[in-house]
Amino acid sequence: MSTAPAHEIGLAVHGLSKSFGGVHAVVDASVDFHHGRINALIGPNGSGKTTFFNCVTGMIRADAGTVTYRGQDITGKAPHRVAHAGIGRSFQVCRIFPRMTVLDNVLAGVRPTGLATLLGSGRRRSDVERARALLARVGIDHLERAEAGDISYGQQKLLELAGVLMTDPETIMLDEPAGGVNPALIDRISTLIVELNAEGRTFIVVEHNMELVMRLSDHVIVFDRGAPIAAGPPSTVQKDPAVLEAYLGV
Amino acid sequence: MRNASDTATTSASGSPTVVRVIRGVQVLAVVAAAIGVLVFPQTGPGPFIMSVGVVILSYACMATGWNFVGGFTGYISLGHAAFTGLGGYLVGLLILRADVPSWIALVLAAVIVAVLSIPIGFASLRVRGASFVIMSLALVLIMLLIFQSWSDVTGGSNGLRVPRPFGPEVLRPEQHERFYYLHVLLLVIMLVAWWAIDRSRFGAGLKAIREDEDKAQSLGIPTFGYKLSVYVISAFFTALAGGLYALWFGFLDPIFQFSILTGSYMVLMSLLGGIRSLFGPALGAAIVGYAIEFFKAQYGDTQFHLVALGLLLGLVVLFMPEGILPSLGRLLDRLRPSATSIREESAEELANKRAVLVGDNGGAS
Repeated sequence: MSTAPAHEIGLAVHGLSKSFGGVHAVVDASVDFHHGRINALIGPNGSGKTTFFNCVTGMIRADAGTVTYRGQDITGKAPHRVAHAGIGRSFQVCRIFPRMTVLDNVLAGVRPTGLATLLGSGRRRSDVERARALLARVGIDHLERAEAGDISYGQQKLLELAGVLMTDPETIMLDEPAGGVNPALIDRISTLIVELNAEGRTFIVVEHNMELVMRLSDHVIVFDRGAPIAAGPPSTVQKDPAVLEAYLGV
Repeated sequence: MRNASDTATTSASGSPTVVRVIRGVQVLAVVAAAIGVLVFPQTGPGPFIMSVGVVILSYACMATGWNFVGGFTGYISLGHAAFTGLGGYLVGLLILRADVPSWIALVLAAVIVAVLSIPIGFASLRVRGASFVIMSLALVLIMLLIFQSWSDVTGGSNGLRVPRPFGPEVLRPEQHERFYYLHVLLLVIMLVAWWAIDRSRFGAGLKAIREDEDKAQSLGIPTFGYKLSVYVISAFFTALAGGLYALWFGFLDPIFQFSILTGSYMVLMSLLGGIRSLFGPALGAAIVGYAIEFFKAQYGDTQFHLVALGLLLGLVVLFMPEGILPSLGRLLDRLRPSATSIREESAEELANKRAVLVGDNGGAS
């Protein structure tokens, strides 16, 4: 990971729009994400957060708008190119490779550097060691031989994070990291986010657990009806009347 | 200190004897099967049984060739007969119309098919699931129409006679035996290639595609390039199998060469044996190939064998969706030391573990 100077704009999204038939999921959304921050993306269900994620990471093609990362235009780039640019992501409903072992799941994130490594062993010693260290870091190294589909949902979330870390991303986008996870593991995940952030990784987190969002994030962006309606430090956003209206209907 | 190597040794050392015995049984089974295949022609089976042996080996080659794309990526192509048929016809045409020596024609035909499969794969691999299956079916039907209609070149429905590579002094039984061993050689080459891909980083990426293509892409795997590469490899080997069959059988008719049934056999054989295992398609080919020949010999040219194969496919999908070899593998796995507990750790356990980690290496990984 090559670290960019803190607080410089890393990911910049301008005028992003995406409709599905008559549903306008994201409408002219513009957001700048600074390096080194833990950014939280919050908003009611259906406010376009996941679609925003999917457009940024190339999983779906936006109708309009531009996405740049560290000055490089990544608009409409295939997901693997976005990953190569340094953006890793998790999915709202945790996605792992269920019929591979836990260790092989993490190894899937190794990027071959040339034809020799592409055709070389899929379990190169140095990669295996790094994968094991990451599994130990997220706390599921004792499961490395288990099939990923057999472990608990919370453990799968940790595995997904370990898999993303294997690609060594500078920016990590997490879609509801605490969704459906028991409180002990939520603590573990939030501690990991803080630690990884301290090492220089930027986070963009979609999350509904407000206690977690307020505790964890440096910067909160509130989405409603497909576009940001407020942004700022958690304490400010919490009191914003527009946010209160969107969220609580008051 | 708790570290990675500790974990590895504790989980593997549960009962090394059992692990070793299982491995030994697996190796023995493969060696026994290999010896059986190699010795079979020496047991004096007679020309008919020998020809059945060649047919079964040809199926094994086709199914293993199919399994490069089917097994690794999970893309089920029902139209691989297009590649066997093209391989066969190109061998015949190169020999007849361009005077290319038989064995060079065999390799050259497979290379041409591989090149042709690039645009075909480029178009069809853009879609997944049922759409891909339909595209693959369309391909074989298009080939059927072309080879039937373009009779000036292909011989059309009258068929194409492919000259035998061996001289007239080589009689039929001898001919069968030679082709038997040639098919064994081709099968071994394919198995080695499949094995090499299976253990490579390329193979790991392909298997990730099979499991969850979007997820694989989000991890940086250029899925389209991977799929296309393995599709071309699969087309190459399947065409070699088709070409070798053409040299042996000596006569090609579009209706049989570009038959949806042939493509379906490859799928059924691979599913039956197990698409995720190296020897699965070959084992499936032995069972299904034998069954086809048995029904044909027993009941003549009826549709009865199709009914029986349909039933077999139904049974496989219902009771052994992973195929014979993976199911056997799972049975053996039960004898292995039991898997690690997946119970989630409590907050207290986590805190303790964390304290140990931090104490050991300052929390860094």
